Amino acid sequence: MRAVEHLPGNGWAVDERLLLVEDDASIREIASIGLKAVGFRVATAIDGREGLARVRACGFDAVILDVMLPSLDGFEVCREIRKFSRVPIVMLTARTDIIDVVVGLESGADDYVKKPFELPELIARLRAVLRRAAAPAEAEPIVAGGLEIDPAAFTVRKDGVELALTATEFRLLFELARRPGQVFTRELLLQRVWDYEYLGESHLVDVAIGRLRAKVEDDPSHPALIKTIRGVGYRLDRA
Amino acid sequence: MARQLLRPGRRRGRIRPGGLRRRLVVAFVLVAAVSAGALAVASYLLVRQARLQGSLTTSAVEAREDLNLAATITYPEAGGFVRAYEQRGTHVVLIFSGGRRVWSDARVNPPIPPVLRSFVRQGQLGYQRMDVGGLPYLVLAGRVPGSAAQLYLFFPEQGIERNLAQLRNTLTAAWLGVLLLAALVGRVLARRTLEPVARASEAARLMAGGRLDTRLPAGAADEFGAWAAAFNEMADALEAKIAALSAAQARELRFTANVAHELRTPLAALVAGASLLSDQVSHLPDPARRPVELLIADVRRLRTLVDELMEISRLDAGSEPVQQRLVDVRSIVAALISARGWEDRVTVDGEPLTLATDPRRVERILANLVGNAVEHGGRDIRVRTGTDGVHGCVDVADAGPGIPPEHLPHVFERFYKADSARTSAGSGLGLAIALENARLLGGNISVSSDVQRESVFRLVLPLGPAGDVSQR
Repeated sequence: MRAVEHLPGNGWAVDERLLLVEDDASIREIASIGLKAVGFRVATAIDGREGLARVRACGFDAVILDVMLPSLDGFEVCREIRKFSRVPIVMLTARTDIIDVVVGLESGADDYVKKPFELPELIARLRAVLRRAAAPAEAEPIVAGGLEIDPAAFTVRKDGVELALTATEFRLLFELARRPGQVFTRELLLQRVWDYEYLGESHLVDVAIGRLRAKVEDDPSHPALIKTIRGVGYRLDRA
Repeated sequence: MARQLLRPGRRRGRIRPGGLRRRLVVAFVLVAAVSAGALAVASYLLVRQARLQGSLTTSAVEAREDLNLAATITYPEAGGFVRAYEQRGTHVVLIFSGGRRVWSDARVNPPIPPVLRSFVRQGQLGYQRMDVGGLPYLVLAGRVPGSAAQLYLFFPEQGIERNLAQLRNTLTAAWLGVLLLAALVGRVLARRTLEPVARASEAARLMAGGRLDTRLPAGAADEFGAWAAAFNEMADALEAKIAALSAAQARELRFTANVAHELRTPLAALVAGASLLSDQVSHLPDPARRPVELLIADVRRLRTLVDELMEISRLDAGSEPVQQRLVDVRSIVAALISARGWEDRVTVDGEPLTLATDPRRVERILANLVGNAVEHGGRDIRVRTGTDGVHGCVDVADAGPGIPPEHLPHVFERFYKADSARTSAGSGLGLAIALENARLLGGNISVSSDVQRESVFRLVLPLGPAGDVSQR
């Protein structure tokens, strides 16, 4: 296990405000203690409605969202949040069904942690999504495939219209667009975008590509921009 | 038969389909042959008897007249007398007292049978059937009234013999016809009769093949109808039993999955708490430190166990998705070894190996196999990759204590541990999970072991796509 202090990465500030939506009191309390111990400021909510209300009421830097919640489940909360915010969301999935993971990601989560988790895992995932939400170091705008990508402003325009991408979708597009024509394996994208060291869940990549296509492609079922290279990975066409 | 029905397939090589049908046809033909033959022979004998009797009666009447006629004949007239008979085709021999003979046809001078002669000498009218010159004759003889002369009349019976021969031929032909007809009818009847048997054996085969809803058409008001009803009853019972068993098994699997799942929430709090504590161990007062370390280790073990229970119950549920990529097995092995810090205990060699398969499952299998070797074998673990052109194989060998032969068949069983004291740290599910994953990928794992020297686990996976696996 990696020690918290030696996590790779940069660009995260202390005092980031997290919302932890979790119905189990023990997990909520222990996770709060652990997250506070490494410098986050943590607010908690005990069910989906309260969580959603709190995100609406005041912005957070990231949301940790349990899937199995009373009143409104995590997928619903996630979909609702995505209607008005691109705040990074990490799902806590108690079930390890791939379906659950995929549904969670499709409803707009940036990453997920399987229960039971050790706190360093959760913290590492949180830091990774926060880093993604921060502006990339190279701030030069990129034009590729009819898209104008401005890392500094964190915006993507297609034909002059701004697209609402989450931090993960933006970072994924940015990685692909920096080297158009190059094939990226899922493993490489997992490293670059999600900070997984090796063989992370490739669902992360596949689902995020799907969501990204839905936003940037003219016809998402026949992608012209982001191509799948069978058995290898993905490529952004120069076009 | 009964044995074959009870254990289909076991002696399949000796079942001759149609044997029973042939036997039925043969029996049918035999019965027809014997009864028709008996009937034919009996009627032939009756006809023959009647004809011969009729011929005798007619001839006797004639003979009596001829004897009366002969009474008026003297020796010198005898020549003309006997010649008159020749025109009717009847031969005549007239023997006068003193032994002088007059015969009607020089060719016909047969020896008179002595029995007949003595009969005649006593004054009786006698008859005998005999062949003369190869032809059948009825010989009637008597003493001429009022003299010692004897008259022998040879009545030809060729006509009767011809008729009887005709009758024999006709009856034989009819008998053969009956046989043929019996064979044909027997065949049809046997097929009809045995059709339910054929249907039943087909149904039994279907059931053995897993089609438990197979039923026979019942309703015929005969033995086969009753049999079909009994068969269907048995099939109902079997289907219900198997459904109950599968339901019980499904319940058991669901129970395991539910237990594992229900354990997750409290376990999640435990794991999160333990991970918090583990950062603080060094700050704890001495008496608390060791218990806390043990607690943390036990929580991790519990987590592994629950994770693996979840994993194996997902594999049991059979709904696991399989991805397919080009997978460089050597780099997976290298990555998992370095991730777990086993570099100084494990060496990798062999040819490079690329498979089209699910990388995470391959990683899982190999991590479990190498982990098992690290845990049990200890020293000199070697991972060797290779291929035979169709399959890729990975050997994980260790120079450990080996596995005693009595344990070898059980190492892939769930919670099976060779050392009953259960001292080892593994959950007891690692190898079972590895095997289930290998099978999911269309491969297998085998194990061989040489006690005191080494154990080798061999993973074999197809090089190319394993059946119908979706590409993601």
